[in-house]
Amino acid sequence: MNGNKTYYVCKYTPVELLAAFGAECANLNSMPEGFDLADQIAHPNLCGFGKALLEAVMQGQVKELILVNCCDTIRSVYDVLEDSGKLDFLYMIDALHCDSVCSRERMAAQLKGLARAYGEFSGREFDETLFRKAFAPPVRVKGPHLSVMGARMGTQLFQMVQEAMPLPVENDSCVHNRSVGEVPPPEKLRMLPENGAGWADSPAFGRLMEWYAGEILGQIPCMRMTDNTGRKRLYNDPQLKGIIYHTVKFCDFYSFEYAELKDHANLPLLKIESDYTVQSSGQLLTRLEAFAESIAPEQNTEKEKRMGKGYFAGIDSGSTSTDVVILDKDRQMVTGIILPTGAGAAIGAERALEEALREAGLQREDIDAMVTTGYGRGAIQAGDKSITEITCHARGAHFLDPEVRTVVDIGGQDSKVIRLDENGAVVNFVMNDKCAAGTGRFLEMLARTMEMSLDEMSAAGLTYDEDITISSMCTVFAESEVVSLIAQNKATDDIVHGLNKAVASKTASLAKRVGGEDKYMMTGGVSKNQGLVKTLEEKLETKLVISDKAQLCGALGAALFAADMVM
Amino acid sequence: MQAAELLGNYVERFGEDNPQRARWFLKTGWEIQDVRYRIFPEKQLMPADRYLARLMMDSMLKPLQKPDSSVIVSVFTPCELMQEVGLNPYNVECFSSYISASYAERGCLQQAENNGISETLCSYHKTFIGAAEKGLLPRPKCVVYTNLTCDANLVTFRHLAQLYDVPSFAIDVPMQQNRENVEYVAGQLRELAAFLEKCTGRSIDEERLKERLRRSRRTLENFEKFQQLRADRYVPSDLVTPMFAGLANNVLLGTREQESYTEKLLRDVRNTGPARGTRIYWMHTIPFWSAAVKEALSLKESAQIVGCEMSEFCRPDFDPEKPYEAMAQMMVYNSINGGASRRIQRGIENAKRVHADGAVWFCHWGCKHTLGGAQLAKKKFEEQGIPLLVLDGDGCDRSHGGEGQTSTRLGAFLEMLQAQ
Repeated sequence: MNGNKTYYVCKYTPVELLAAFGAECANLNSMPEGFDLADQIAHPNLCGFGKALLEAVMQGQVKELILVNCCDTIRSVYDVLEDSGKLDFLYMIDALHCDSVCSRERMAAQLKGLARAYGEFSGREFDETLFRKAFAPPVRVKGPHLSVMGARMGTQLFQMVQEAMPLPVENDSCVHNRSVGEVPPPEKLRMLPENGAGWADSPAFGRLMEWYAGEILGQIPCMRMTDNTGRKRLYNDPQLKGIIYHTVKFCDFYSFEYAELKDHANLPLLKIESDYTVQSSGQLLTRLEAFAESIAPEQNTEKEKRMGKGYFAGIDSGSTSTDVVILDKDRQMVTGIILPTGAGAAIGAERALEEALREAGLQREDIDAMVTTGYGRGAIQAGDKSITEITCHARGAHFLDPEVRTVVDIGGQDSKVIRLDENGAVVNFVMNDKCAAGTGRFLEMLARTMEMSLDEMSAAGLTYDEDITISSMCTVFAESEVVSLIAQNKATDDIVHGLNKAVASKTASLAKRVGGEDKYMMTGGVSKNQGLVKTLEEKLETKLVISDKAQLCGALGAALFAADMVM
Repeated sequence: MQAAELLGNYVERFGEDNPQRARWFLKTGWEIQDVRYRIFPEKQLMPADRYLARLMMDSMLKPLQKPDSSVIVSVFTPCELMQEVGLNPYNVECFSSYISASYAERGCLQQAENNGISETLCSYHKTFIGAAEKGLLPRPKCVVYTNLTCDANLVTFRHLAQLYDVPSFAIDVPMQQNRENVEYVAGQLRELAAFLEKCTGRSIDEERLKERLRRSRRTLENFEKFQQLRADRYVPSDLVTPMFAGLANNVLLGTREQESYTEKLLRDVRNTGPARGTRIYWMHTIPFWSAAVKEALSLKESAQIVGCEMSEFCRPDFDPEKPYEAMAQMMVYNSINGGASRRIQRGIENAKRVHADGAVWFCHWGCKHTLGGAQLAKKKFEEQGIPLLVLDGDGCDRSHGGEGQTSTRLGAFLEMLQAQ
């Protein structure tokens, strides 16, 4: 960021008008490392972008800022920033929520107000030549492409998306689909010779601003506008091959569009959520890569290796366990190993591979191809290729039971639901957010609170007398709720059933979101928890297929992809 | 298990497959509660507040009993026009609170989230959306909403109108306070009147509307006077009464019943004893379901809520002889319209009027305006000598509780005030 620039955040900002006063405008879009300063002056549960704005200003990176009353967050941010006194120029445009004639008149009045204020601040007059020069048609991606839509996506995350995707990506989120500039100001509205002093009150300037207000309000509407039917233009492009739908935590406008889009868009669709920090973006990489794999599956089946002894290995490096599967040339399982991951993914993988080779009576060189998957896949150097656990789980589940169409995987760190087609390819998937709620870790922590082993917990939830509801899904709050239930002498079986219900509801919610359908298979370590499986079956109103190789599903899928690599 | 929990269990159980039956349970449960309010009112409350509890229950039941004569409204939509065409306001915040009080909110919230609605959306909105999607709440005649006070209105009500497939009307309220903006909103309210006339086939008589606005003004004047009078009195309060007063001052403003409530308040306050205990002014909604907040502030002489921002958003400084401009003025000059600073300033004035010892700024989950202004409010209130506690929680969704933390924070704040 550059303290000499005039920053804006919304596409309804009149950047061409500011340019007419010599301002160099830039979209404030960088994602910070954290929100230390913002949390001190606002609240942690504010939308991440609002906090990013506060952070940038409080760090002294921004001196001029133009806001639009986009939402409640920005309205509050304006007041907090005004009170901070950290900016040389701060202005908020009161943009109405519709594109009527009346709204255009009021927008024109807002533009004149800003022109006056910025003119006074900068000590410069309105320069019509600069104004007209600032109109430049936006450059868009041509040909087949993907599009990021929804809430604004920060620069770093968008770069990550571009790198992960097999096609060019257009950023159509929030401020990024600004289209003012497609049409230059009409010649008939030229102000000369009134340009210069006296411009502010001249009728010619008024007419120019009225035209300009129409251009600003006539863009593809954002979700804050009353009539947003024009947004359909964003996804009706025949060259569009898939959508990455982005939401920002605590910005709720766009979840409504996603709710509609997921049922009506006839395109591959990935939903991701970030909190606008660089860290949160890193956690989204698995989802992005899995989506890229589902768009271009041929990349996973390229023949790259020659057949040797005809053995293929898959390593699934999870947060809790590392699993290894070795297949022979007939794609029969020679061995399957599950070991705790321990402190490092690479060491854990090496150890598990050694153990699998020993059990199979093979040497490292007997393995023709090896694919790594799982949370630690990037850390393992040994593999020939790395594929996300989402694609691998789908492949493994299809291998174990070709009738399976939905895979529910509850692992130690995350839970996911994957929908697949009749060939085992991923059609859609959804993962829980970075919170531990609804994962194996949630049950593990609460088993510890209740001084039970996971095996005891698995059996305890099968029968119950009282139907207890654990209302908190936050692990920390749920723990305190369990402690108070224990203090009330509630039966252990009843409490465990309550916990199972909480996890099952969360999982069933993911399944519904992804359009889950029969048959369902459950994989991952939590599939061993009988009480949870029973409760989840009740919630989903179906039986779950649980293979005796359920825990090895990801490694099995990886081994199958390894076999595909060999000619 | 309490009766309310039992009701919630039935509503949730039937909510999945038989929404008609779930709706019947909800309506019957609330009708029973209505009878209970009449026979066994909360005796510690003033008679006026007991009357208010019944009034609110009645107004909740009407849309369930006669959905075709109801209009879904967002909070702070002027309801005088709806009353003139015989439509009962079907207010999202009120309904979600009552659903939560009936322990039926969980399934509704889950339904909305299953459909892709954000987990961070305000739980009042999300509960209502889920209940509507489940078929628990009947189809209204139409939907009327405004962006005022809450930007979630823009998406929630558009979604509801599409879901129910009914006509809708949005009132666009600019954030700056000036005459032009009052005119702009008044123009839209005239269009709203035509919209309502078309929806119902009834006409709005301007003279009757003026009379209704005169009543609205008298009601708000009475309420303001009551707040002045209670400054030196001990008025027993639970957690729902200040919320009821706030909601009634919106959805029932302009009715004879609401005016009658404020008249009763002025009568009853004269029979109360001198002020005692710690006096708290509450900003934003009150988590009525929280045992920790109840323990600290409900019907306690030691500490009580003496006012809530929710009931004092509008000032009685409008001219009822220009009814559309009057309603527009209430919207444009609403204390929460615009940035956080106006809202904070109004809160400080209100808190001073009732001689509050301290204030709570309740950060209801997902309410960005409240969250964003929290630290600024703390600074400004305390500059004016009113200690302020920023309390996180949820007015509607129990799962955002953290009762232990609420109890500690609120308890420590009250101890601090008492020590002063």
